[in-house]
Amino acid sequence: MRLNDRIFGAVLLALAVAYGWGATQFPEPFGGAETVGPDTFPKLLAVVLSISSLYLMLRPDPDNAWPWNRTGIELVIAVVVLVLYSGLLQPLGFIISTTLAVGTLCWRMGATPVKAYVTGAVSGVAVFVIFNFVLGLVLPLGLLSFLEVS
Amino acid sequence: METLGYLIDGFGVALAPHNLMFALLGAMLGTLIGALPGLGPANGVAILIPLAFSLGLAPDTAMIMLTSVYAGAMYGGRISSILLNIPGDEPAMMTCLDGYPMAQQGKAAEALAISAVASFVGSLIATIGLILLAPVLANFALTFGPAEYFALFMLAFATLGGITGKNPMKTVLAACLGLMIATVGIDNTGVQRYTFGVLELFEGVDFIIAIVGLFAISELLFFIEDRAGGGKETISVSKLKLSWKDIRNIMPSSFRGGVLGFVAGVLPGAGASLGSFIAYTLEKKVVGSKGGFGKGDPRGVAAPEAGNNGASSGALVPMLTLGVPGSGTTAVLLALLISLNITPGPLMFTQNADIVWGVIAALLIGNFLLLVLNIPLVGIFVKLLSVPPMYLLPIVTMVAFVGIYSISNTTFDLYFMVAFGVLGYVLRKLEIPLVPVILGLLLGPEMEKNLRHALDISDGDWMVLWDSGLAIGLWVFAAIGLILPTIVGPVLRRRMRGLEQKDTAIGD
Repeated sequence: MRLNDRIFGAVLLALAVAYGWGATQFPEPFGGAETVGPDTFPKLLAVVLSISSLYLMLRPDPDNAWPWNRTGIELVIAVVVLVLYSGLLQPLGFIISTTLAVGTLCWRMGATPVKAYVTGAVSGVAVFVIFNFVLGLVLPLGLLSFLEVS
Repeated sequence: METLGYLIDGFGVALAPHNLMFALLGAMLGTLIGALPGLGPANGVAILIPLAFSLGLAPDTAMIMLTSVYAGAMYGGRISSILLNIPGDEPAMMTCLDGYPMAQQGKAAEALAISAVASFVGSLIATIGLILLAPVLANFALTFGPAEYFALFMLAFATLGGITGKNPMKTVLAACLGLMIATVGIDNTGVQRYTFGVLELFEGVDFIIAIVGLFAISELLFFIEDRAGGGKETISVSKLKLSWKDIRNIMPSSFRGGVLGFVAGVLPGAGASLGSFIAYTLEKKVVGSKGGFGKGDPRGVAAPEAGNNGASSGALVPMLTLGVPGSGTTAVLLALLISLNITPGPLMFTQNADIVWGVIAALLIGNFLLLVLNIPLVGIFVKLLSVPPMYLLPIVTMVAFVGIYSISNTTFDLYFMVAFGVLGYVLRKLEIPLVPVILGLLLGPEMEKNLRHALDISDGDWMVLWDSGLAIGLWVFAAIGLILPTIVGPVLRRRMRGLEQKDTAIGD
């Protein structure tokens, strides 16, 4: 099967066209059009990308298998955990969100739940202490802000 | 000797107590990063950049620390090659061939010590080469005009896939993607490009976020897929029995390996993998049938290790003098320079002489530190190897999050990093190399500036890009660099694989 490269080539070709079209829509720079404007380089890139994506579609390499099984679900879980971690870092605070995120990741990668969340909590507290008290960088406390000693 | 004067000044910078401390810290962290499975040097340096940045370290200190990390990672990579037969990174592959058999014969301690000495010799030779060659090359590069620079950047991209690269078209594609991402933001004439009105994009995509996402997050995803969850059993390291005679025996091999490695490191497109490969095969030829290569010959450990370390120091030459890195890790170091507001290239040797020579001196000092650290502390590093990746990788990911968060304290950057991680995973699945993407991101603005500059001078005549002999030469090399791998690549790859398979046959 050589579908991966063909599909990706098509996606990139579409991207190249959209990108090249985008370059024609730039407003004219102040002081009138020049021979070389902000659109020159992007147009060049769009041409090169179109050619190379066409090549990819015509001469694709053999596929690597995608994980369409349980591993795939694990991957999706990992990405969801990372997205949630990003979003909850500020509201929940660093320690709680790290315990949850690192713990869940360790657990899904094969650790026992207890060990996993203990690892998460210990690493979260340790990094928080190092950052806030040794390095002087502020990480958010979030829900734990009542502990703050000021 | 002007160079000597600069070098002495450099030692002045590098020996300042706080710089020395950070060099030591960097060397330790680097060895750790190199030794731990799933954390290559590029990855490790990438994760540490945001930390160095948000700690507000002075430019020279930050550069010294991360160069030490770089040097340390090259040392560390050999530990898992020798003990577990798992190369920490690609260049360490050749060390497995004789290192692992040595460990199986109960000579793990000797193999580790020999490789440490060989690494030291290789780095030392290459650093001396760097000191001699870099100022000459920097002077030469001062004659480059915008057209030559544009051609030079093309050369850098063309040779990045390396001589062993698979599909050069995929390198082109990856470079295009990187360059395209680099055009996002407000350009130098004040025009908004591809910002879609999103405020966070006005200043462009921060390449540090992209690098950490592409390397660190995609590594985590790959690890989950490979499911290599548990820790590896460790080989016990016996007491070191190494005489001066053993060290003297490997000296010629280390010396040859170091010189070859340095040359491979400086040349565009060769890199550390080729350096260690050439060093190993040449050594086999020189020693001939007398040596027991592949069965645990100490010289078979020394040569590729010296080659690999020589190449990694050699790779700093084009990065420092031309601002054009030849490998993933030097690209990441370039990212640090740019984010410290230092313009890499020949002018750096005059404008930021203290940093350049401080870094070079730090490289020398770092190598001594690493040699001294490595022999007694090897036991600790070996213990760390048994930390199961299922605990390690989530923590490394968390450190990456902390680093990115501490730069700007915004959640937007974190989402962006995760998005880059997923992109990195997909690209790696499609066997599209990530380093050209990063190089495109880094060099994009500079490349566009030179193109516009050249065309402005010539009033829009594109012929200016290949108007001088120098520029034509660079274009020709770029073309060769792109075409040669399709001819030579398959042969070289087959040979490297051939060696590896023979080895595993023995290992089993």
